Amino acid sequence: MKMRGLLISAFAVAIFAASGVAGYQHVRATGAGWREIAWPFPRDGWPAGRAFRCETEVCGSEVEVYLRPEIGFCNCDTGVADDDEVDRVADLDLISERFVPLREGEVIRVADMQGRLRTYDLHLTGGVRHSAIGIAVSRGCDLMVAVAQGTGAAPDVQRVALDFLASRDITRWMTKAMDGG
Amino acid sequence: MNRYVKPAAFLSAFFFLGGSAWAQSQIIQSQVIGAPPEASNMKLVGYSDLQARSAYQPTIHHQGDRWIAYVGHHGGTDEIPDPVNPMTGKAEPNGTSIIDVTDPAHPKYLRHIPGQEGKYEGGGAQMVRVCDGKQLPKGDPNAVYMLRTFGGEAHEIWNVADPVNPALITRIAGLKDTHKNWWECQTGIAFLVSGLPDWRTRRMTMIYDLSDPAHPVKIRDFGLPGQEPGATGAVPTEVHGPISAGPEGNRVYFGYGTDKGGFLQIVDRDKLLNGPKEPTPDNLRYPEISRMPMSAFNGAHTTFPMLKMPIAEFAKDKDGKDRDIVMIVDEEILNECAEPRQMVWFADVTVENRPMMISSYTAREASGGFCDRGGRFGAHSSNESMAPVFYKKMAFISYFNAGVRALDIRDPYHPTEVGYFIPAITAATDKRCVKIDGKDRCKVAIQTNNVETDERGYIYIVDRANTGLHILELTGPARAVAGLP
Repeated sequence: MKMRGLLISAFAVAIFAASGVAGYQHVRATGAGWREIAWPFPRDGWPAGRAFRCETEVCGSEVEVYLRPEIGFCNCDTGVADDDEVDRVADLDLISERFVPLREGEVIRVADMQGRLRTYDLHLTGGVRHSAIGIAVSRGCDLMVAVAQGTGAAPDVQRVALDFLASRDITRWMTKAMDGG
Repeated sequence: MNRYVKPAAFLSAFFFLGGSAWAQSQIIQSQVIGAPPEASNMKLVGYSDLQARSAYQPTIHHQGDRWIAYVGHHGGTDEIPDPVNPMTGKAEPNGTSIIDVTDPAHPKYLRHIPGQEGKYEGGGAQMVRVCDGKQLPKGDPNAVYMLRTFGGEAHEIWNVADPVNPALITRIAGLKDTHKNWWECQTGIAFLVSGLPDWRTRRMTMIYDLSDPAHPVKIRDFGLPGQEPGATGAVPTEVHGPISAGPEGNRVYFGYGTDKGGFLQIVDRDKLLNGPKEPTPDNLRYPEISRMPMSAFNGAHTTFPMLKMPIAEFAKDKDGKDRDIVMIVDEEILNECAEPRQMVWFADVTVENRPMMISSYTAREASGGFCDRGGRFGAHSSNESMAPVFYKKMAFISYFNAGVRALDIRDPYHPTEVGYFIPAITAATDKRCVKIDGKDRCKVAIQTNNVETDERGYIYIVDRANTGLHILELTGPARAVAGLP
């Protein structure tokens, strides 16, 4: 397991170095095979979050994950109660306003916060379609939302995204962000 | 005794003995129990503690020869989920307070009607409107009807002709949320902000004919395309509340967004009520005249229309002397300035398909160190009475820890603050907290939540942090703006 992790890290470093993005503002390598990229969306009502990309060589297909806290945006008593709430809050609309859920969502726990996850077919310009995963978890009246999109099948995008969100650095960052850090 | 008094006293002593200038300013910016209110051109007339319940909408009704205040409440707090009603000796979930304010200097608490069990926005009975039975087309002329929310699960109508002994008439239940309703007393048409389980948004609008409150008739459901059942893709932001100009004005002004990505939606009332009703995207678009988007930083809590306002500056202009103005009030959500400032905006909607923001107002942070006082600082709501005493002349804006702000709006292109009143905190005032490194850091400050006026010219402000109801009047130059003696 350790050897596999080392190999993936070494591969990620190689890709990172080769991509020539080391000088990109806010960009840094993080996690096995993932690198942080600039927040790709224009300013909206919430402060920008963090964005990450995993290349095909590591994740099987190119996958991007965007995550940010939305403080004071959750029903303080019920949390993320249903799939409609994931549709509303999970930032899918930043990528495209046209998304169709593939199935009913499921309960999920991320960074010790409970919420829901739902998979989508995301319609992009030019007839391009991506798989997308919307995640919204809450603590008190605050939300942490994440979207993953990729060219692979939804189960594969979901798997690599959840592995990434479960990594120690990302979990720690999400906890700190929800703590007012 | 409030558990924040002792630390405050300790800190006061510490800084008296040589604390830094920075720290002293923090103390000056903290409210103290028993201190006089901060006021300019407004003064306190009377007070009710509202049984230390967190308060939202006040509605003042001239009922026979009496004046009755109906005050909706949020749910209870973590510390006191169900405050004791001293009139019954029982713990009761926050609901609706009924107070006789005929003598505003001596308000008399008449009755508390319990609301939905639950804390903060998860319970209570926030919203309240009142219509006389004799004004409603099919009402009992001897009845006075109070429309209120019951937490997030229902709307209720009570007969409050005898406000000491209200009687429940009707219940519209099965909802996942409710909020700021509007009820036209002359027609009975009610715009009920609700969450229907199959709609994709937490809040949309159910439109009812409540001209006979005992027999509600559903007219239609209304929302934005994308919110309706079965839609996919992005879900537009939720409605906060509408205000109707009635059949004469034939417009309904909907505010969406609360504190983010808000917009004003202008709707043709006749098309809304009589157009196709199936909630399809086309049918939902049909009555819309226009939308005016706001910055993603701001939302629309209250959209208060003031149509055909004569503008003195334009008096000699051949066209455009009178303007249709909508005052839009955002709602600050987060404590201690943790989000973009929520404030007041004035839109000129005379040309309805090209509405334009023309001015804005905010209380000055530096005038009171409000970002450091604790709790929310920013706008929340305005008075909604259209009684001639203040209509198109003055507006009153609840501003949380900056109390209520009185604006001269006779020239809506240049609104001017002419008074304010910030009540003192009491032992009942609840704390407000922010997270610092994962831990709660709490302060106690006034949280003036909502405001209403009556035809006599009294101003009623209520507190979200349990401080009660303050009845105010204007003094000095502010009184002259309203033309009061």
